[in-house]
Amino acid sequence: MALWPQKKNRNRPRVCDPDARPYAVFDGAGLTIGGKQILQGLTLTLQEDRIGVIGLNGSGKSSFVRLLNGLRSPSDGTLALFGAPSAQAEPELPRHVGFVFQNPDHQAIFPTVEEEIAFGLTQLGAGKDESRRGARTFLAQHGCEQLADRPISELSEGQKQLICILAVLVMEPSLLVLDEPMTSLDALASRRIRDKLLSLPQKIVMVSHDLDHFDGFDRLLWLEEGRLRMDGDPDTVREAYRRDVALRLGSEQEPAAL
Amino acid sequence: MISVYLQGDSWAHQVPAGLKLLAVALASLALFQVTSLWVYLICLCVVLLCYASLGRAGLAQLKLLRALSFFLVLLALMHWYSDTLHDGALAIVRLLTMVLAANFVSVTTRMDDMMAAVQPLFRPLALVGLSPRKAALGVTLVLRFAPHMLVVYGMLREAWRARTGSRNSWRLLAPFAIQSLRMSDNVAEALKARGGADGLSA
Repeated sequence: MALWPQKKNRNRPRVCDPDARPYAVFDGAGLTIGGKQILQGLTLTLQEDRIGVIGLNGSGKSSFVRLLNGLRSPSDGTLALFGAPSAQAEPELPRHVGFVFQNPDHQAIFPTVEEEIAFGLTQLGAGKDESRRGARTFLAQHGCEQLADRPISELSEGQKQLICILAVLVMEPSLLVLDEPMTSLDALASRRIRDKLLSLPQKIVMVSHDLDHFDGFDRLLWLEEGRLRMDGDPDTVREAYRRDVALRLGSEQEPAAL
Repeated sequence: MISVYLQGDSWAHQVPAGLKLLAVALASLALFQVTSLWVYLICLCVVLLCYASLGRAGLAQLKLLRALSFFLVLLALMHWYSDTLHDGALAIVRLLTMVLAANFVSVTTRMDDMMAAVQPLFRPLALVGLSPRKAALGVTLVLRFAPHMLVVYGMLREAWRARTGSRNSWRLLAPFAIQSLRMSDNVAEALKARGGADGLSA
């Protein structure tokens, strides 16, 4: 159910089909920033409901997921998102792809929970009162009505991250991209957030360092030095990743390996 | 958090933000025309009653006076020195009344209502091609992130203290500037991910 009818854009024809499967097709895609090769030679097709991304720090995970919502554009190869070339899809992406960042303090823009949620609705063109009512309804649907008037700064880390996720979900994206969303959470909060995520109808692409977070996922991508090292079902990829980490621990003693 | 907003549902919360701002502005103008100390004291009492009507949490807001007290004492001393105590008393009561009245509006008005009330003032910006919504959003961001910057500075100071033993140093300014820039990058990215400052309906 749409909380707010999305306004039709008369000037530009819509190019994205939010229900397209596959929703992302990479063909030899690469990314270079400031002369540095961050990602290269990525050829893969994303169509599963739950996809995880793992890799060591600096392997290009964050850049990879940023390609999915247009925060980065590929510098070589091609990328099609929701059935359209990424350059054309870009202006429509914030509507279809919800993005949740690692640090809720950098994502929440407004002082109170209700305002933060309502912002998504005003972004879609709702007026002040409609968006406020919509935010209340939405919070109630997710069992958070008692948080509505609370200042975001006073919430627990888990609540903050939950609000950041809801603030993105209220825009009804078809894909939810999360870049290490559980990093600052304790074990209990992180488990609750994960269960919440798995219950959502949205397609999900999530980066995490905790391999247990990918229980129940359909597919796991392992990035290494900007390339796709392995791609498969979570159990196989996790096992190989663990073995690789153990192997590196044995062979590399230098601080350069950190 | 500077966001001094006091959660609640009092009469003062229900008065529209624009009306409250206008009332304070007009009252300030009117107050400058009066020279009777008695009128001032009555106004001050009215403002204090407003706070009292919010209950204990409202009265707790008066702690704001502590920050002001130093300045007020200084003002009183200056007037005492120049032998204009009556004028001094007037100035102090007037200042107190106006600051408390303005703060009362902040305490009982939500940020988005305040923005909506102030946004028309930014409308002339549209004439030179700037979006009034952007300006209003800018103000919101400053109010939201200023306290966060204090937290960041506090963390830098702690890290500095843990390694040097001294409390503070001008050397923290450079890392603080870098941290601020990095944070603004992150916030800009998050804003862009939700459709940017102009929204998705334009």
